[in-house]
Amino acid sequence: MIARLLTFSAAAAILASAPVVAQRGQRGAQPPSSPRAMTPFDLTGYWISIVTEDWRWRMITPAKGDYASVPLNAAAQRAADAWDPAKDEAAGEQCRSYGAAAIMRVPGRLHITWDGDAALRIETEAGTQTRLFEFGPPSPSRSGDGTWQGRSVAQWETAGRTGMFGAGPPPKATGLKVITTHLRPGYLRRNGVPYSENAVLTEYYNVMPKEENGDTWLIITTVVQDPQYLTGRFITSTHFKKLPDGATWHPTPCRAS
Amino acid sequence: MHRLTVALLVAGAAVTAFRAFAQPPASSTAAARGQVSATSRQSGSLVEYDDDVQRTSVSGVDFTGEWAPRFYEDQPERVPGPELGDYLGIPINDAARMRADTWEASVQTLAEWQCRPHSADYIWRGPSPLRISKEVDPVSRQVIAWHAEWLRSVDRQIYMDGRPHPSGNAPHTWAGFSTGHWDGDVLTIRTTHLKEGYVRRNGLPRSDRATLTEHWMLHGDILTVATIVYDPVYLTEPFIRTTDYELDLHQWVPPYPCEVVEEVDRPKGRVPNIFPGLNTGVKEFGARCGIPEIATRGGAETMYPDFRSSIGNITAKCVAAQR
Repeated sequence: MIARLLTFSAAAAILASAPVVAQRGQRGAQPPSSPRAMTPFDLTGYWISIVTEDWRWRMITPAKGDYASVPLNAAAQRAADAWDPAKDEAAGEQCRSYGAAAIMRVPGRLHITWDGDAALRIETEAGTQTRLFEFGPPSPSRSGDGTWQGRSVAQWETAGRTGMFGAGPPPKATGLKVITTHLRPGYLRRNGVPYSENAVLTEYYNVMPKEENGDTWLIITTVVQDPQYLTGRFITSTHFKKLPDGATWHPTPCRAS
Repeated sequence: MHRLTVALLVAGAAVTAFRAFAQPPASSTAAARGQVSATSRQSGSLVEYDDDVQRTSVSGVDFTGEWAPRFYEDQPERVPGPELGDYLGIPINDAARMRADTWEASVQTLAEWQCRPHSADYIWRGPSPLRISKEVDPVSRQVIAWHAEWLRSVDRQIYMDGRPHPSGNAPHTWAGFSTGHWDGDVLTIRTTHLKEGYVRRNGLPRSDRATLTEHWMLHGDILTVATIVYDPVYLTEPFIRTTDYELDLHQWVPPYPCEVVEEVDRPKGRVPNIFPGLNTGVKEFGARCGIPEIATRGGAETMYPDFRSSIGNITAKCVAAQR
């Protein structure tokens, strides 16, 4: 009986101390900072893609049926085999390979700016597209219909630094995670390799420390999941080098082939 | 008995209240943690706990695990192997082209070459599973080195204990000599003392004067690694690639013993090669795929988006999977 009492008392003491742990975590809490104030690196400015990977699928239009290395199901292969760029052009669908799931692999420059304190804006030279990464819930005024760039919700990655009892120091942002939905069906590659309106795009943005030669690199890891056309996650990573300014910025329209 | 229970509860609550009261102000706690963090960064520690067993804001994540390569990029080059004469998107100079143009694939059958492992820079793109483990000091419990081990390579150490790189006269190895440090949660690694290797498995060389910078990043169960090769002998600009691996809890890197055998009957001392200007094979890829020679010959200009204006809007004539 004494042992049971001691166990119960010890448990009671631990439970009683729990709020203190929580209070301890709160004590160091600061007023909530804006996403812009929390930024762990400077994403803004002009960046240029350096195409050292997938050259034959990015710098030129791949041949019809060349969908090696994309985890397509049979329906997707049939769709890719039926690709007709003239038809896309006639239907005003020439931006299909410039949608969010593909645009970072399209060679070109990016211009990244803050849109207020809670959204990042990315303009692309290729296809003259604009992406908006909103921290927190998307603006309610936006349409529910799918668009080439969809709806993107952003959050800073904190690598789960919450401590053993969830009362560790305030987490520090280390990277940017972006999830994009509400996409209009598009192409993962210019030659008609499809993704559907059900695709979900997850991206991770990291800016590397400056190299000894002065280069600064932006690395974007992209994960496309599409229950309609993909048999698994389609993962790529793309690198951009920082430019001193926008002197060479030259937006171009979409083209179907 | 009831009184005893109440007394113990009261005592427990009193202890708890005292501990809360006795906590130093938040600012001094943060200051103490800041000191620990600074010390830790200096020593390369991965994770530290304070007296209350809580994580600090020290940099670094744990890359330990079995990582499966994913070939969603450059699959034709990385798995079946690159085409002869495909130098697309690599910032090579004329000396590198000469080496690749005179390269003959059967050189790999020489006894001296058969068991040659991929070097530290190339192995990330090779068709090999990866195991990453950490070496922990048993007393300080600090991570003093990472080990990266692929199926077709050698155990590679990345030292985190602040040791300097050896003299330039020290031996060069396939893995080179690597040291790492944290930039937030990105592990940045510098590698020197590499033996001569290749940047593509079709003869494009990388010299033993090259250095390598890597950045390792973790995104859930995805490992992304950026490799940047600087080679004053064969490259005119840094050569960057980014590669992805997925965590695979069922993967096990098996042994890879290599036995030298007689693969080709050839006169003793003959080294397979093709004399300059005689290798017609290097032009077949471009001709078959409809890619202009100014592109297939590579060079820094071919990796910039504006290069497309010099070749126009072309559609390839070949399908990679048909090889």
